[in-house]
Amino acid sequence: MHRSDFCVTTCFRDIFLFRDFFLMRHLLLLIVSSMVLFEVGRLTGAITIYPFPLLGPPSLGNVIGGFIFGIGMVLAGGCVCGSLYKLGAGSAGSLLAVIGMLVGSTFYAEIHPQWSTFAKSTVLSKDAITLPQWLNLAPTVLLLPLVTAGGLWLYREFRGGRMVRPAFAAGHLAPWRAAFIIALLGFASYVLIGMPMGITTTYTKLGATIAALFAPEHIKSLIYFSLKPLNYTPPFSDHPITGGPGPHLDAFATIQYPLLIGIVAGAFFSTLRLGEWKLQWRLPRRQFVSALSGGLLLGLAARMAPSCNIWHLWGGVPILAIQSLLFLTGLLPGTWIGTRLLTRFVIR
Amino acid sequence: MIQTIDIDIRGHICPSCLLLTLKEMNNNVAAIRTGNTELVVVTDDRQATTTIPAMADRMGFCAEVVRMDDGYHIRIYRCNIGTTP
Repeated sequence: MHRSDFCVTTCFRDIFLFRDFFLMRHLLLLIVSSMVLFEVGRLTGAITIYPFPLLGPPSLGNVIGGFIFGIGMVLAGGCVCGSLYKLGAGSAGSLLAVIGMLVGSTFYAEIHPQWSTFAKSTVLSKDAITLPQWLNLAPTVLLLPLVTAGGLWLYREFRGGRMVRPAFAAGHLAPWRAAFIIALLGFASYVLIGMPMGITTTYTKLGATIAALFAPEHIKSLIYFSLKPLNYTPPFSDHPITGGPGPHLDAFATIQYPLLIGIVAGAFFSTLRLGEWKLQWRLPRRQFVSALSGGLLLGLAARMAPSCNIWHLWGGVPILAIQSLLFLTGLLPGTWIGTRLLTRFVIR
Repeated sequence: MIQTIDIDIRGHICPSCLLLTLKEMNNNVAAIRTGNTELVVVTDDRQATTTIPAMADRMGFCAEVVRMDDGYHIRIYRCNIGTTP
């Protein structure tokens, strides 16, 4: 992500800000590639869990969560994943965004009972997790035309030279290569641990762990931190594993902490190797405030949605999870509002 | 004699780099077109080394990027007046 600057926030933001679809084409490439890999994996038996764990029934909460997430990621200058690699590269603004996310996602526990009641009252379908399930069709029937149309369009974009730009940064990795690599990583994650990459519960867990040092009784009293939404038997295992957002070392910690640390460390070593690492703290005050407030919104929205753009766009959309499609529906207008706020109040 | 307008945007988070450069390009578009003025942007944002030249191209200008100790220097100029030796 660092070498290619494959920033998902940029994919959406630049459409509204500059009418620039360059990185969005690459996000579509990632999604179409993941559609192919996940479906082939499912049909061949390499993927044994469909749909993957933690996906729930779709509700209006997914749209509202996606909307707030869109505003937050533009103000923060990166999403939950993008801010991590930028932090690893030395961005003080992204450090503030990550701190904001930790606070926002931990604060969600305070409003969880009310939000959960609202989300349950606006459930669209109790039984269907994915669009094929809702329409009672085989996934391939829906995915095949989408992949064919998307593949042909992307091929045309490649042929037209719209997937490549002159790049001058040292050690640059073409975004289309990054898109393929990320799709392969998502596929490997789905095959090996039974679900694609996700990271946001770790933010809550880390935030709760830090908060528990100062207010252990209060953290213990919040019902959200006692939940165990992750409860499944992973591939290559006979035993079920459980995990939740509470301040405990559980399956969530085992799966997501390494990813979180890996993204920061990967970007850190990448910049170090290029001789480009340095703490970038010379930031206008408005941008610091924007990064922190965007991070707060991101963290909160990532719990309300629930989960983030990485989970939904790289994992859920490729299997046509309805939650993820609704998240995307909210993300687009949220990003637009975010760009309006950014140009009006932050960058002048 | 070519006048150079320097823009130091080191440390800025995206998309500040492109927006601020775009603002300067728009403010000086006539002067750059005469060939008497060029912009030199100093940035440490890797993404800007792709997006700023692409935007300059869309506006009909040329851009060249040089990596130096203090960051990437992006020179934006009228296309047919040659490059820096």
